Amino acid sequence: MMDRITCAGLIKQKLTPKDIVVCGLGSVEAAYKQVGPVGPTYFASDPMGLWASVALGLALARPDRRVVFLAGDGDLLMNLQVLATIAAVAPANLRIVLFQNGSYASSGGQILGGAETLSFATIARGAGFKTVIEARTEDETRKALDQLFDGKSLGFVAVHVARDKSPSEAPGPLAQAEQRALFMQSLDA
Amino acid sequence: MPQGETPAHLIIAGLKRAGIDLVASLPDQWLGDLIEQCDADPAITHVKLAREDDGVGICAGAFLGGRKAALICQNAGVLLAINALGGMAFHHQIPFLVIAAQRGAFDDGYYYQMYKGRLTEPVLKAAGLPHYVIDGPEHLHLVEQGARQAFLSRLPLTLLLRRNALVAKREG
Repeated sequence: MMDRITCAGLIKQKLTPKDIVVCGLGSVEAAYKQVGPVGPTYFASDPMGLWASVALGLALARPDRRVVFLAGDGDLLMNLQVLATIAAVAPANLRIVLFQNGSYASSGGQILGGAETLSFATIARGAGFKTVIEARTEDETRKALDQLFDGKSLGFVAVHVARDKSPSEAPGPLAQAEQRALFMQSLDA
Repeated sequence: MPQGETPAHLIIAGLKRAGIDLVASLPDQWLGDLIEQCDADPAITHVKLAREDDGVGICAGAFLGGRKAALICQNAGVLLAINALGGMAFHHQIPFLVIAAQRGAFDDGYYYQMYKGRLTEPVLKAAGLPHYVIDGPEHLHLVEQGARQAFLSRLPLTLLLRRNALVAKREG
């Protein structure tokens, strides 16, 4: 199964410097940082479950820019109803890519309840997303991302990635409030 | 309150004067008129929520993108969203306005509402988040002023509105 770094690399190939990324915390954040962010990126913090709605707010505030939410499955599972809210608003500039590994990688690799049977793609379809693609291989992921990013409307891609542990890194020099100010400045750069 | 101006009119006018044009809401009986008018107003983007902490996220994302927003919900929603308010909005210093129906006090009539009136203010205080209680429509100028305070202090500010400040009195 594809690892999350490869997945982040494939996403990076589709991004432009104008795209605004909201990056989920934990192993998704570690993967995206490792491949290197392309444009303005807002990195999540606790509490989990909140960042899909942050991406929605950003998409509504900046209809001139594409907003890409990189989600972890443990994170998204905490607040599934947000998918219904997003699908109802259906901002044409919002894209969601889910890293689905069925585990809480940064807290020790514990398995999600229902990990073996859970289908986020089915949930997204049921929530009202019209474009939903599930990918299990590198080739499928490439094609799914092409469809997602070449499309002109809201879409959701669930990529199955291998389970691995992703221990939390030491805090950087800037706290979230400071990063927030720099992010806002970078949007107008 | 000037004739013909319902609390909903006054609140929406205050939001607009403060530059707020995005509203995320979850209904309460006392909020029906306000939410209906937000929905009908072409100058307001209205997002219907399924859970109040998603409203915190939407308002925060809007601010990151340079847009001012408000969350409209019941005070039980403030209690539900306190982790998002105190853990994210406070920590990232992201401002917006919360307009919440202050259920569960002398002006309410249900056993199950009472805990909300008892808990909401001390919980907001413990989280270090500013709030004001609005007793009636004559104090609805606090919508604009509260929003300005929120954006100047880079914190979410909550207005807890009693029944009188939300529900227009019937004629006669």
